[in-house]
Amino acid sequence: MRVGAPPGPARDQAVARVLGRRRYRLNRLIEALCVAATVLGVLLLASILLTLIWRGAAGLSVSVVTQSTRPPGSNGGLLNAIVGTLIQTGIGTLIGTPIGLLVGTYLAEYGGHSPMAHAVRFVSDVLLSAPSILIGLFIYQLVVQPFGGFSGIAGCLALAVIVIPIVVRTTEDMLQLITPTLREAAVALGAPKWKVIVLICYRAAKDGIITGVLLAIARIAGETAPLLFTSLGNLNWSISLTRPMASLPVTIYQYAGSAFDDWVELAWVGALLITMGVLATNILARVALRGRRTS
Amino acid sequence: MSETMSQAHDQQTNWGVSRPDTENTVARIAVRGLDFYYGNNQALKHVDLDFPDRKVTGVIGPSGCGKSTLLRVLNRMYDLYPGQRATGEVLLDGENIIAPDVDVNALRARIGMVFQRPTPFPMTVYENIAFGVKLHERLSKAEMDDRVEWSLTRGALWGEVKDRLHASAMELSGGQQQRLCIARTIAVRPEVILLDEPTSALDPISTLKIEELIDELKNDFTIAIVTHNMQQAARCADRVAFFYLGEMIEVAPAVQMFTAPRERRTQEYITGRFG
Amino acid sequence: MIFASLARGSGVFVLVLLGGLILSLLWGGLPAFHHFGLGFIGSTEWDPVQQVFGAAVSIYGTLITSMLALAFAVPVAFGIAFYLTELAPIFLRRPVGTAIELLAAVPSIIYGMWGFFVIVPIMSQYIQPFVIDNLDGIPLLEDLFAGPPFGTGILTASIILAIMVVPFIAATMRDVFDTVPAIFKESAYGLGCTTWEVMRSIVLPYTRVSVMGGIMLGLGRALGETMAVTFVIGNTDRISTSLFGPGNTIASIVALEFPESPAGSLKLSSLLALGFLLFVISFIVLAISRLLLKPRLAGRR
Repeated sequence: MRVGAPPGPARDQAVARVLGRRRYRLNRLIEALCVAATVLGVLLLASILLTLIWRGAAGLSVSVVTQSTRPPGSNGGLLNAIVGTLIQTGIGTLIGTPIGLLVGTYLAEYGGHSPMAHAVRFVSDVLLSAPSILIGLFIYQLVVQPFGGFSGIAGCLALAVIVIPIVVRTTEDMLQLITPTLREAAVALGAPKWKVIVLICYRAAKDGIITGVLLAIARIAGETAPLLFTSLGNLNWSISLTRPMASLPVTIYQYAGSAFDDWVELAWVGALLITMGVLATNILARVALRGRRTS
Repeated sequence: MSETMSQAHDQQTNWGVSRPDTENTVARIAVRGLDFYYGNNQALKHVDLDFPDRKVTGVIGPSGCGKSTLLRVLNRMYDLYPGQRATGEVLLDGENIIAPDVDVNALRARIGMVFQRPTPFPMTVYENIAFGVKLHERLSKAEMDDRVEWSLTRGALWGEVKDRLHASAMELSGGQQQRLCIARTIAVRPEVILLDEPTSALDPISTLKIEELIDELKNDFTIAIVTHNMQQAARCADRVAFFYLGEMIEVAPAVQMFTAPRERRTQEYITGRFG
Repeated sequence: MIFASLARGSGVFVLVLLGGLILSLLWGGLPAFHHFGLGFIGSTEWDPVQQVFGAAVSIYGTLITSMLALAFAVPVAFGIAFYLTELAPIFLRRPVGTAIELLAAVPSIIYGMWGFFVIVPIMSQYIQPFVIDNLDGIPLLEDLFAGPPFGTGILTASIILAIMVVPFIAATMRDVFDTVPAIFKESAYGLGCTTWEVMRSIVLPYTRVSVMGGIMLGLGRALGETMAVTFVIGNTDRISTSLFGPGNTIASIVALEFPESPAGSLKLSSLLALGFLLFVISFIVLAISRLLLKPRLAGRR
């Protein structure tokens, strides 16, 4: 049976061409806007990095890493701040990672879809997105107030609380990526559940979990607000965990807002240092993951 | 089936070597009245089947007929998933292994399983083999070395890996990885080996190597193999069970199953009418 | 098994952690709520001398900077996501994508400093005078953009926030756009659609809910941001009608006034009460975003 031509006006090339032109113009316009948006994003990144390098390099000198912070005009450095950041970031990661690992394991291996697992997952997400300033206030109420003073350990705890949900999310995602067959192969040999997790699953998910930890480190190294209420900052040299401790972001904050030129200059140096550290850790995390994955 | 049809069938297929009748040997595993449920859905219906000692029992049938499910009952793999349950009896040397008080980890040292896809653990070749052994035995380094070598030799892999025992297992080819998994399963010295479509992810040459391996292994182990490849069942198995929609329709020696099956549905499956 | 109990126990610990956070803020803020009643939320007074505090100025600042930031950020983020998923040549996708993700990694205090030392002068020397001059005489608009061109203010803070939030929203959008199965897009292309038409009629409707979820996530980020805002918002205790005027957000006022709040004082309690309110606002936004993103998450599992 012949279908024949459909009803309605015959195909009009002219109309189609006009419509087409209009559509292509609109498409071109939007494409141009999108390119502009992307260029804007890249330019902003470039501007930030260039400003940091230009202003920060100007103040770079050996004394930055050999001298602690000093009153304006006395050629101080940032040593105590740098060390303070390293200590607090390190301990914060050391406390937060095992907890996050265990919670992520619970969610992926034991909890599944139970109501409690849903609750834990939700709470972890809340902590992940909670403004970090509130975490600082929380630790202030919990540790600083009762024990009567700002301290380095309070700062570490605040950072640990930020680390936990990041590691939870990464661990759970990575463990869930493991094919069930791999797990079953270990079970089929007679391995009890905890050995399957610790000896097989952790090994299989190792790269992803390490990336997550590195990203967490990069995140907490740059945090200022939570430290304002916990370790407070210290203009003198101190590595004691029971007294206020300096950190790079807090020192930058104090210096940048000051009226003293040499302090502002040091703030830029500090900003350059912390940004380079954070970006390097980020890139390391990406490259390490990409390089080691063979399959 | 009429005489002329069966004669034509024999002439056309010409499958496999004739094997001795295995009806009269001891059953290593005896399945009695097994029902299996995924939630409310019954996947196995009142299965009675013997797995004779040191013979290869093949399980065939269309997709969804329950053949993999049956295998996974035998080593209690379904324990991992809530909502899956089995009733009836599965007797290993007279003891019902689907009873609740059975030590499942010890059971799995006696009944091993190889899966559809190769599953090398993310460790070295040596560590892969040693992993299962360390769960159940305490061996000295020399003893472990011997066990690893023995397993890989019996798994037809020793020659290819003896110089790279401490390289990552992930670097082996697919066929080598699957033989590694077989070697890993043998290393714990089980009595029964369950093979769940072991060559479906492999190329023809690797498939052939593994089929030869199965032929050797059956001298020491009782083997159950699930396969959707009927030629493979004909080549490897001594006895074959045909499953359809959760029920065992027929079990017979391989030669008889593929030349003169008793049931109509078996006949239809074998000639490719469905599934 | 000890390991299982350990894992389960740590799950409980996380629940306790959040509970503790909420309780500590509420407990600390209770004196303020008790003293000022619920009027605390609506009061625009902030007078340390008279010991009268109210949350309205900060809440207003928080909400308006975040909304404006989103208004700027969403189109830019969309443009970037569209570019990365459809328009960019393959060899550019990874580097540009990485550049955008690095923007997200930059600590917020850097944004604050950069904003203060780079953007504020630009605003005060070029943009603000330009806008003020050109809107002179137009009734509503001239009030919206009135005031001395200090360079700081609500608009500047919103711009900085927008720049901070763009990478997050762009990354979410990009991930979500990538989940659209190729055959859907191909069937539209096959009919002769342009790239924009495919995006508009296939990709966006398919991903609409997840995109909203991503935007809400960005909103949550903007609401809680402290350091980027504190440098540039001008910090005043009054609601100003002009976008060039100063203001504060909950986060910025807590950061600034905390050093001068003695322990146990009404002022500290008011700050903690503000913290609690911020938590409630972020919590609501997060819950909504999770609800919207759930199908995408479910697909992932």
